[in-house]
Amino acid sequence: MPPFELCVRSDLSQLAKISEFVTQSARRAGVPEADVFDIQMATDEACTNSIEHAYSGNMGEVRVCCWVENRTFVVRVTDFGKQFDPTKVPMPDTEAPLESRDIGGLGLFFMRELTDGIEFHSDKEKGNQVILRKRIQTGEG
Amino acid sequence: MTIETTELKRCNVIKLEGRFDSATAPALEEAFRESMNGGVYRIVVDMSGVQFFSSAAIRALLMGYKECRRWNRGDVRLAAVPERITQVFDLAGISSFIETYPDTTKAVGSF
Repeated sequence: MPPFELCVRSDLSQLAKISEFVTQSARRAGVPEADVFDIQMATDEACTNSIEHAYSGNMGEVRVCCWVENRTFVVRVTDFGKQFDPTKVPMPDTEAPLESRDIGGLGLFFMRELTDGIEFHSDKEKGNQVILRKRIQTGEG
Repeated sequence: MTIETTELKRCNVIKLEGRFDSATAPALEEAFRESMNGGVYRIVVDMSGVQFFSSAAIRALLMGYKECRRWNRGDVRLAAVPERITQVFDLAGISSFIETYPDTTKAVGSF
């Protein structure tokens, strides 16, 4: 599969378009439907972070690129906004009673839980990149 | 994405359809607020038509849940949650707290 790329402006209204793009790309790559949903969810959270935190209301560009390597579906989300430090985001306490729960950090938690690997890179020229990996399960074990 | 609120004797039913992400989650918060502003704190959320529910939508749902339950004045109960969304709720640890029913009739009957 050749890499597929989508560039959109940093606006939350573009999330549906991004979802549609990764869904189609993952299906073309032969990703099983249950995993397509996980990829859709993780990508949505990564792009929301770019739009809401990296650009925080300023106009910019979000690039989403998908490809397959070593039987793994890869999504790379790139923005050119503020650098993001994932170590500063507290992990949510998913065991705490809802009434007392601080529900921040759930997006990053989903990105980690729903993929098989996640990387963060920051570079002045290449921008901020989040790379999400999901192994393509073929049913052959 | 569409949100439709129906007023019943026992509670309000908020029917959700489509995609709930950071762009559309504020509309869900608004739907909860409208019911609460009308003095209704017992709410069933019909999830049968939901295709996507991000962390922002979960935050909106939990806001409604917490506000409705304040001072024991009500509750938010879920109906017909699609399997994929159930898995996300399990992961977030909210399935064990929010009462969930297989369909709207049973959820409404629980009040």
